[in-house]
Amino acid sequence: MYSRNTSNFYLGLFCLAFALFLIFIWIPLDTDTGLVDKIRRRLVIGDALAPTIAAVFLAIGGLVLIIFERRVPSQPYMTGQNLRFISVTSFLLIISLILMRYTGPLAVWIANLSGGEPLEYRLLRDTPPWKYIGYFIGGTVMITGLIAQVESVLSWRTLRIAVLAAILLIVIYDLPFDDLLLPPNGDV
Amino acid sequence: MKIILKTAVAALGMAAMATGAFAADWTPPGPIKLMIAFGAGGGADTQARLIAEELEDRTGWKFIPEQVTGKGGLNLAVALKDQPNDGTAIGMAVTETLGYNMAAANAGISPADFTGITTTAGFQMGIVSLTTKGWTTFADVVAAAKGGEQIKFGVMSPKLADLAYLVGKAQGVEFNIVSVKGGKAVMNGVNAGDLDLGFMAGIQGKGVAAGDLVNLASGLSVPLVQTPDAPTLADLGVPFNGDGYFVFIGPAGMPAEARTALADAISSIASDESTKAGGLIKKAFGGSATIKGAELDALLADGFSGAGELIKVASE
Amino acid sequence: MGTLDYIWLGILAVFQGPEMFAVFGLPISVTLVMVFCGFLLGIAVGATPGLAGPVAMAIALPILISIFGYSPDALLPVMGFLIGIMKGATIGGAVPAILFNTPGTPDAYMTTLDGYPMAERGQAKKALRIAHLSSASGDTFSDLVLFVCAPFLAIFVEAYLDLPEKTALLILSLSFIAAVIGGSPAKGLISTGLGLLAVYVGTGEDFYPRMSMGTQQLARGFPITTAVLGVLIIGSAFKGLEELWQEKKSKGIIEPAAESGDQRLSFADIRRLSPYIARSALIGTAIGALPGIGSTLAATLGYTLGKNRYQKRKPAEDPDFGTGVPEGIAATEAANSSVSGANLIPVLSLGIPGNAAAVFLILAADSIGGFNPGPSVFKFTKDVVNPELVVAFGLFTAMFLANILNWTIGGVFMRSMGIMIRIPKQILLPVVLLMTLTAIYVQETRMEAIWFALGFGVLGYIMRGFAISPLPFVIAFILGGKLEDSARQAFSATGNDPFFLFTSPIAAVFMALSVGVILYAARKSKDEK
Repeated sequence: MYSRNTSNFYLGLFCLAFALFLIFIWIPLDTDTGLVDKIRRRLVIGDALAPTIAAVFLAIGGLVLIIFERRVPSQPYMTGQNLRFISVTSFLLIISLILMRYTGPLAVWIANLSGGEPLEYRLLRDTPPWKYIGYFIGGTVMITGLIAQVESVLSWRTLRIAVLAAILLIVIYDLPFDDLLLPPNGDV
Repeated sequence: MKIILKTAVAALGMAAMATGAFAADWTPPGPIKLMIAFGAGGGADTQARLIAEELEDRTGWKFIPEQVTGKGGLNLAVALKDQPNDGTAIGMAVTETLGYNMAAANAGISPADFTGITTTAGFQMGIVSLTTKGWTTFADVVAAAKGGEQIKFGVMSPKLADLAYLVGKAQGVEFNIVSVKGGKAVMNGVNAGDLDLGFMAGIQGKGVAAGDLVNLASGLSVPLVQTPDAPTLADLGVPFNGDGYFVFIGPAGMPAEARTALADAISSIASDESTKAGGLIKKAFGGSATIKGAELDALLADGFSGAGELIKVASE
Repeated sequence: MGTLDYIWLGILAVFQGPEMFAVFGLPISVTLVMVFCGFLLGIAVGATPGLAGPVAMAIALPILISIFGYSPDALLPVMGFLIGIMKGATIGGAVPAILFNTPGTPDAYMTTLDGYPMAERGQAKKALRIAHLSSASGDTFSDLVLFVCAPFLAIFVEAYLDLPEKTALLILSLSFIAAVIGGSPAKGLISTGLGLLAVYVGTGEDFYPRMSMGTQQLARGFPITTAVLGVLIIGSAFKGLEELWQEKKSKGIIEPAAESGDQRLSFADIRRLSPYIARSALIGTAIGALPGIGSTLAATLGYTLGKNRYQKRKPAEDPDFGTGVPEGIAATEAANSSVSGANLIPVLSLGIPGNAAAVFLILAADSIGGFNPGPSVFKFTKDVVNPELVVAFGLFTAMFLANILNWTIGGVFMRSMGIMIRIPKQILLPVVLLMTLTAIYVQETRMEAIWFALGFGVLGYIMRGFAISPLPFVIAFILGGKLEDSARQAFSATGNDPFFLFTSPIAAVFMALSVGVILYAARKSKDEK
């Protein structure tokens, strides 16, 4: 990606470019009042000023990188390997979260297929065991996936540990407390 | 442990309820999400949670409180609007949310998108300054401003800012209006000297009683309980007021029995000084003010249309 | 209500809280128990490589709030627990550093240099005792400085600083932190800029939520827990997992840290170590009082200065630093522990957090409400009781208690914590990750919060990849709202003076310093080539 001694330069350039994009494009388009606004016959600071200042910090940082720190010896950067790792990890997490969110309602839907009084997940969101299904499955998959990725093998031991951990977390965060909701029960 | 306790209290409560204090036999189909538009730990938030707790004990209904703060209660309004309206989602905000803030936001929502359940308490909104400033009535402030002094007027919401502006205009002076975050911030500013005076919605009670603070004017349509002689905004030439209440609302189209059941339950707790919630309300606001049903609908609708007027006048 | 009355009220608040149980007829209040439990947990967490105090604080917070609720009564038990963790973690970090050459916390790195050789020589127990003694001394010293300085600083600030000056001071703090963290002020600025940007999404005075691109999800902005926990903890968990993954790929297995064995600390030893402890305690306290500079820098400075001194004064035949010299451990541990108390000075007196632990204390105060760290806390009001001031003195009492616990049972517990190293990191980190996400959800109750946290985690990971420190980001996120509010109010209060940051002499000086500190640090890093 970047050769060893120039990553600072490119990083600085990127930050500067992003900052300019913010100041001249995104912020003006996405805020109601400008930098300053006239209200009740007086000037007040508008909503755009604070993010603009943030962008200015970013721009100055980029400039200082380009001007002062271009030739500093140690310039770490993200390698292709890093990118691969974080992509796989993100993918694992996304899958686990989707499971967490939808396996509960899915279970209810399946239960409804066998007739009887139609259930609604929303009304069951405080009733065990329905409320634990999503968290348990999603959490177990998350931990198993992450450990397996690091160890490069998927073993029964990992699965057992993940199940234990998920149960432990349910015990700590949900059982003793009345008002706490495990994912996804706050959303439905 | 809590479960045992709750069951016992619920049983007792049920017995007490046998007198038929609560309307109908409506029960919520599931746990009730209670959205709270106020920051965690503050007085308003505590009030909401105590009411929920008492309600749980009395009726056995399950409440799950949730903070949805920001934008003067509009974040809660937007979130609540699309919730199911069978009584399993309600929120606590202030009437200003459905009035001025909704009108100013111009985001396509209005009180018609909500069902008013009940109010719990009203604000004793006053214009307050330190006694050490030497002012005893609002006329003194005006005199000081006319004499060339730069008067810093603290407000905690856009509606109050407009009101402060109009008061100045009506009296022929211009105030330096400083918007701060929250009533406590106004009080701190006034105490620290950063602000010369400001709106306070009831927290000035203790200070006024002790003689450290003075109510220079009433921000309501009626005189203040603590200082009945202070002029109202109408007296000062402003045809608008800063009346406000804490209000419980639900999404539009709530079935009448759900609405009445919730309204009766909440208002009976708010007016009952022996409960923690009722006691808190008594201490902080001097007693409850429960407006519900058609009266509440009218209040909210008037608040909205009146706000449109206020915004127009203040932008001239 | 005089000063002494307030101090007494604070002490009472800690000891007279709701009673948990009684010992020989003496009621033990819940805050006492909380400080004790937090302290033990802190030592355990500090002793576990891969975990740090802030992680435990983050995970415990929603549980604590659930137990104690949101009323101001909850402040002392919850913050007492967090303070216990903070103190415990500072001594816990030395345990694996000495026993297994792996620092439990980053600032214990220099403890490995002399601690591990001593352990290899069979003097592990003695090394642990030295670490404990130095740590406890440094901690107590800086706490005393805190108790004295924080109120004075707060009162001074209130008296002389008005809105424009306070705004300028916030800008100076942000610049200062950006400049001193790590070696690169530029990267610090980038981190700060990103943090400010993140906090300004969805907030603001207007009814339209700015920078939200019209979406409902962003309309409420990013909850503070997602940004702080995401960047700090989830980001570092990702980095840790990656390191394990790389280790597995290169070595084929992940090595769990290994094991070994004995000795007493004599009075003569203590006398010899005292000057090193004292010097490092002073350095640590001074550095800790400045926001942003952390315990790692203090430890490094303490070690380096102690080393120079030692090399000059020692008889030629004595061993050098780095070969297992007690003074080495003493110099480092005293320095890194004395940062913790002093670090709370900017937090309590100005509301400016200087390190991760302070960040979590602010998070706790924010979540529970009723306590806003800053100058308004130290108003010694005569007629009406200022509850925030009572809480502040309650916190001081809790810290004092933690110190007592440290001196008494800290050492024993510390020595028994060697076992924590056996937990495989590749299991620990994913569980911590899930725990953190759960902790966030339980407070925010929407899935978007988890998505945001993961997003911030990835951001934290990327930042670490480029050696951009996440701490300025987090501090900027916390201070950003305050900065905007005080700027807006200052602008209005000065009658719309566009140069309000420069018209007041104090504010102008702060602004000049902000620029100056960046230039100075940039110069230095360029020279350091």
